[in-house]
Amino acid sequence: MSFLPAIPEVLRQFFKRPATNLFPAKYLPSSVTKYLKSVQEGNAAINPPVETPPNFRGKILYDRDTCIGCKLCIRVCPANAIEFLPDTKKVRIFVTQCIFCSQCNDACPVDALHMSDEFLLADEDRYSENMIVE
Amino acid sequence: MVMILGVDPVLVLGGTVAVALFGMLAGLVFMGIERKFAARMQARIGPPIRQPFRDVAKLLSKDSIVPENAIPCLFNMAPVLALASSIVILLYIPLGGFLPVLAGYGDLILVMYLLTVPALALVAGGFASGSPYATVGSQREMVTMMSYELPLAIAVIAIAWRLAAAGIADPFSLATIAGTASGITIWSVVGPLGIIGCVLLLIVLTWVTPAELSRVPCDTPEAETELCGGLLVEYSGRNLALFYLAQGVKTVAMAALAVALFLPWNISWFVALSPNAALAADFAFFLLKILAVIFFSVSVIRVGMARFRITHVVSIYWGYLGGLGLLGLVFMVLDAYIGGGGVL
Amino acid sequence: MSENKKIGSTYSIPIGPVHPALKEPILFTFKMNGELVEEVDFAPGECHRGIEWMGMRRNPVQIVHLTDRICGICGVSHSLAFARAVEQIAEIEVPERAHYVRTIIAEYERLQSHLLWAGVAAHELGFDTLFFLAWRVREESMDVIEYLTGNRVNYGIVQVGGVRRDFTEDQFPRIEASLKYYEDVAGKLLNLFLEDRTIQMRCKNTGVMSEKEALELCTVGPTARASGLAMDVRYDSPYAAYGDLDFTPVLPHQYLGLTNGDVYDRIVVRLLEVVQSVDLIRQCLENMPSGEVLWEKKYPKILAACKKATGEAVGRIEAPRGECLHYVRMDGNTNPQCWKVKASTYSNQMSWLNMLKGEQIADIPIVVASIDPCMSCTDRVAVVHGERTDILTKADLHRLSVEKTRRLAQWS
Repeated sequence: MSFLPAIPEVLRQFFKRPATNLFPAKYLPSSVTKYLKSVQEGNAAINPPVETPPNFRGKILYDRDTCIGCKLCIRVCPANAIEFLPDTKKVRIFVTQCIFCSQCNDACPVDALHMSDEFLLADEDRYSENMIVE
Repeated sequence: MVMILGVDPVLVLGGTVAVALFGMLAGLVFMGIERKFAARMQARIGPPIRQPFRDVAKLLSKDSIVPENAIPCLFNMAPVLALASSIVILLYIPLGGFLPVLAGYGDLILVMYLLTVPALALVAGGFASGSPYATVGSQREMVTMMSYELPLAIAVIAIAWRLAAAGIADPFSLATIAGTASGITIWSVVGPLGIIGCVLLLIVLTWVTPAELSRVPCDTPEAETELCGGLLVEYSGRNLALFYLAQGVKTVAMAALAVALFLPWNISWFVALSPNAALAADFAFFLLKILAVIFFSVSVIRVGMARFRITHVVSIYWGYLGGLGLLGLVFMVLDAYIGGGGVL
Repeated sequence: MSENKKIGSTYSIPIGPVHPALKEPILFTFKMNGELVEEVDFAPGECHRGIEWMGMRRNPVQIVHLTDRICGICGVSHSLAFARAVEQIAEIEVPERAHYVRTIIAEYERLQSHLLWAGVAAHELGFDTLFFLAWRVREESMDVIEYLTGNRVNYGIVQVGGVRRDFTEDQFPRIEASLKYYEDVAGKLLNLFLEDRTIQMRCKNTGVMSEKEALELCTVGPTARASGLAMDVRYDSPYAAYGDLDFTPVLPHQYLGLTNGDVYDRIVVRLLEVVQSVDLIRQCLENMPSGEVLWEKKYPKILAACKKATGEAVGRIEAPRGECLHYVRMDGNTNPQCWKVKASTYSNQMSWLNMLKGEQIADIPIVVASIDPCMSCTDRVAVVHGERTDILTKADLHRLSVEKTRRLAQWS
């Protein structure tokens, strides 16, 4: 089959394991919310996603106590996702605005900002508790 | 027992309902399995086998939208016609140990004509949609139809002719070809030359199947990336579900035709079984054979190559496959006259 | 000949703004005669997001990550071009090691972009198996990019004056493994894509563009090279570490012995560039100098240097799709006075008109895809007056650009 090289290739592949990572489940559950609930209750297990490497840039972590309120992170944030709170001289970060460049982490003089490896951040509400870091 | 025009109405009606149900169920199941095959060959998991059932259920629950430019009666009639004609084909094809429901009322030639009806229904529906995509799709479907008719006809006629040359009565009847009752098949008739011919014709039929079913590489009438679904672009809801079912039934019918022509063996010929067990075993074996045909002539071909242009379809089916079919026919003729193939 | 045809023998087919053959919105209008294309017109501008407007309200350190978002595929190309422009204005010396890191990431990006394109092209041809295969192979480069930079898509590694992350010694085995993987799989890919009869039938002599046309239409990148033009910014005016590396532009005749300028040649060029990229990364790893990767670690100092800078500069680099050009003008304010992006598709898109004429409907998707169009890179202008959208003619555009140049001259 030199003129159709894909045919031997697919026949070989037929007997190999598929490459798909079965995250979060093999097939779409009939109800996603019910499935997630049963996972929370421990009745079902989620197939884990592909592992994130070290230095992955996920949801931002903010160390409020270390922060000195220098506003440098606000100056370097490309997405204007960081808001300064003048009363407390601390910042508030809107995760829905964040573009995960982690430039604020690099800029922070006191190392108060870090990136976690959390990336499953879908939410129905832009301003829910999970979507605002302060 | 009441007989109308020499037909037992209860048997025929019951048989028709049973075959229709079998055709739709098996069509959906085989489509599900076929998707699994293709997925596996592409290193994917693929949808669950019940996915076609879910698709149909979902489509049936949705509104059927008739576009403004469409001709409503034709537009709505086409899917019904496609499904009905696909089921009618099944009535003439032997299913495992079961004789065709309408055995004796139509033969292979009729089946060949009937095979064009679902395609014609698609064409009518496409032209009635009033969309440029569907119109182009319909034109392409017609061209495709004309292209594969020649190789298909050659393959079918060569087999029937060889049986006739062997002195078998009623060679165009599918029950005869499949040897359901007699146990005599094309393979037991032909000699070595004829076997070469048969293999060539089998290859031709394997390649005609994707064209008949509009699958890659011959899915030019639908061509998702070119025509966004072509013929079916304006169809939705119930109408699309009917086309979907028709596609499933047609897949089974085409595979059953290939089985009847080229893979007619039944388990009960080789193993002594009680009549009921024989029927069940033959039927199970028949399903397996259909699966094998679908695997090779639908799955492997559709994952193994790119889509043809419509001009390629014409040149390949008329030129290469027509030529291959004629060569097969020549081998069959040689076999009958020189090769000394057994004339029973 | 065309006046002999009777009126009404043609019909028109719209493709777009949303169509399965198009990965990004653009509107094509085809005048068809049966299956043949008689006339082509296209209207880009469906994908304008105003990134340059946003950029002129931010400082260069912010913009450099905004540029990642101009395109989903060639993120590092845009940020590299922008950073080079700003570095020229502010006269920042980029450390040697940073040049190598930039080159390695840029080449990984070319790898994944070309493989992505190969998959899309296969899908346009109805060959989904190769689509899945190419994207599976591409995954390896995405994994390495994630491992090196922290993100799979918007890498955010380039900074004005260098790069933000250095490669450590323990990261090299992973890079080496991926290079080995690509060297092993390259032969298989070339075989599957180029030896397949159905692909040859569909792609040979389809969408032909001669060398002369390619030159006249100012095409760039693999599209130009597939027509036999030996042009490559990496080779013609080396930037980053390319000056130290040993390579020549990939041309189809190196593989096929002749150049047709058809879609098949474009597949050849892109697949050979995958092989070339692996070689370039390997060369970079072997010659990698030691030292710092960022000109200045303290962000306030970078910001101050950018603010001080005045002048204008052009940053040119070879993106996977061809030349990518950023024009930046700084006037001593925090934010640039002017920032203009010219992506490769902008140069390549006019070649569609010639390539599509006389082809069949079936070839439209693959010919359109063959220049690897990126509309979100290209769409830089949208004119909207309330409900009405205006079409600007050549004369209008000329008048507007003269006016803008005058305005810029007055400011400075």
